[in-house]
Amino acid sequence: MSYSVLNTKKIIDVIKYRWLWFSITLILLLPGIIAMIYSMIHYPTHSPLRVGIDFTGGSIIQYAVDHNISSENVANIRTKLMDGDIENPVIQVLKPSATDSETSIKYILSIKTKFAEENQSEELEKITKIIKSDYPEAEVVQTNSVGPVLGQQLFVNSMIAVVLALLGIIVYLTIRFHFEFALAAILALCHDLLFVMGIFSILGLFAGVQIDSLFVTAVLTVLGFSVHDTIVVFDRIRENNKFYAKNASYDDIVNASVNQTLARSINTSLTTLITLGALYFFGGVTTKDFVLVMILGIAIGTYSSIFFASTLVALWNDMAEAKKAGKN
Amino acid sequence: MKNKVIMFWIIIALTLLSIFVIHSMPTRLGLDLKGGSRIVLEAQTTETISKITQDMMDALKATLDRRINPQGISEITIQQIEDKRLLIEIPTDSDLKEVRRKLSEIAELEFKKPILDDNGNVVRWESSGLTGKDLEKASVGTDEAGKWVIQLSFNAQGARKFAQLTKEFRGYPIAIYFNGEVMSEPLVKQEIIGGQAQISGDYTHERAKADVDLLNAGALPVPAKILEENAVSPTLGVDSLNKSYIAGFVGLAFVMLFVIFWYRVPGFIADIALIIYSLITFAVFKITGVTLTLAGIAGFILSVGMAVDANILIFERTKEELKAGRTLFTAINAGFDRAFTSIFDSNMSTIITCVILYFLGSNIVKGFALTLAIGVAVSMFSAITVTKNFMHLMFGTGQLKHPALFGLRESDINQAYEAAETKREKAKFGVLD
Repeated sequence: MSYSVLNTKKIIDVIKYRWLWFSITLILLLPGIIAMIYSMIHYPTHSPLRVGIDFTGGSIIQYAVDHNISSENVANIRTKLMDGDIENPVIQVLKPSATDSETSIKYILSIKTKFAEENQSEELEKITKIIKSDYPEAEVVQTNSVGPVLGQQLFVNSMIAVVLALLGIIVYLTIRFHFEFALAAILALCHDLLFVMGIFSILGLFAGVQIDSLFVTAVLTVLGFSVHDTIVVFDRIRENNKFYAKNASYDDIVNASVNQTLARSINTSLTTLITLGALYFFGGVTTKDFVLVMILGIAIGTYSSIFFASTLVALWNDMAEAKKAGKN
Repeated sequence: MKNKVIMFWIIIALTLLSIFVIHSMPTRLGLDLKGGSRIVLEAQTTETISKITQDMMDALKATLDRRINPQGISEITIQQIEDKRLLIEIPTDSDLKEVRRKLSEIAELEFKKPILDDNGNVVRWESSGLTGKDLEKASVGTDEAGKWVIQLSFNAQGARKFAQLTKEFRGYPIAIYFNGEVMSEPLVKQEIIGGQAQISGDYTHERAKADVDLLNAGALPVPAKILEENAVSPTLGVDSLNKSYIAGFVGLAFVMLFVIFWYRVPGFIADIALIIYSLITFAVFKITGVTLTLAGIAGFILSVGMAVDANILIFERTKEELKAGRTLFTAINAGFDRAFTSIFDSNMSTIITCVILYFLGSNIVKGFALTLAIGVAVSMFSAITVTKNFMHLMFGTGQLKHPALFGLRESDINQAYEAAETKREKAKFGVLD
């Protein structure tokens, strides 16, 4: 008996159950896609996610308060702000972190409104006055105003950057591997992005979560990690194919490669998720969504590199072989 | 083996150097971590100014600098970004009210002469040609009644104009306009030759001081509009920073425990390599002057993830090679060699992404791309050099006597011998099948 990839202990048979994995992928992505389509129809911005002021223009002013504010009181604040001629304010109370020392900030009251071209500072001072009348201890911790022109520009630039980064990865992988691998890696990436965006679209619909520049950064992180993960599996397929192509089928090689890298894929994701989990539970209030994007993205990135990207490569290879056989 | 020992001491020296750098150089924190404000301004064209030139931008920048930083001592920076935009960064101050006023005031000082009717009454005011441009210096003073006033001294040309004006309108009022508003309408009692004047409005000291600063800074060459402003109070900044520290340490501690639990002795070596990695990366951040922001920290965390990953890849591979019956020395080498292509390709694709993001991304994305790229570059060094060196020094060249050191079972290895056709001898020389 020769030592061959066929002897690899198979924990998961990715080839045999490929349609099951593709179905799971569909089930994972579908709710998010529906939410994004629904959002595109119903939001005034016609965007798949609820976009924040970074991209649309507007103002956010955040106050640190030392106790929680009930939803009744939030409604109260809204009425008062509207009485004070503040147009369409969006009010959110951000929850505190697990760490609870004397100095750390407990609750954050966040108010979003439009960007006033002319008298921006008076608008913000007016809001602060109204808030302080009810919550005298409230302290302004963050203000952020973005004009609509700059917002759109930032959005367009971010999109250009992401698209170019994807192209760069395709070119590199085509040179180092093969175009099919590059395409599969990019599709796996899109799979991960769709999943994360879908979840945030759902969160946008039900919890009013908006995306900002930090969201884009987090998505980029996921992008980097997802490709990283996929390449490790592909590298193994490339190597095994070089040594065992003669005495094993391509499907078997893919299957063995995924299983050989399985421990690494899971361990790497786990270590990163441990760090992110710490950031989520102990980190600052304002970066929670940011970390959540990365947690979701890295979890799904691991899934897609194991079950999606390599299965896709095997499927294409089968199709190409079937075509060749048909011709002969 | 001698080379390995030399390398070991080089690594130790590098680590000590990093500690020295970290200790002696200040950390540059972004506004989101220490508090402060950031404003983007855009120069606006008007009826009279149809095109914004570079000269205008330079003048605008200089004027704004004099206005918000009259003593030139604070760490305020103003830099031009793109053709018509300025980015102003003010550390630790998150109260934008005062800054906004300073930025938006036009600071136009103008002396106006009266147009009189036949009875000597003022019909309207007309420009006299004496403006803020003729000013040498403004200062805060008090008048005889002890009220706050603004004292003006004109330059030679201004003094001449002022003398002319006061001579022509002796016995009549003139008007001093500031930003289109009448500040005072003093009655000219006599011709004033020395080039000194004072404005007495109902000034508080603060107001007088603020206006004096504006006058000294001069009028804006072109009007500017605020496109974006962002202020973070030091309280929130410090809070974010402290929480990031806690989260970072907790996260790192758990990761280290996890790696030891799973990979045993090599895991312990990886943990030491990870500490060295973090130290070197931070030292590089400081040397290259990276400003650490929340997004930058995210980039760093990701690079830590990738550094751990490099070690995990190598160990998994080494374990496989051990199972295939290789000696420690060849197994470690083979583990590194075979894992290297994965590490190289995945890290290269990350670096390509970083380069594109750095040149195209917004400020926040730039910080992320930079820390990630540095982190990934250092991680290649640390995984290949540090971990490999320590592994060789620790395990030497013999057979693996205690598989448990690698988290392997005795049976794993024996089974591998049976399964592998590869002869023990062949494996010993590191021939890869």
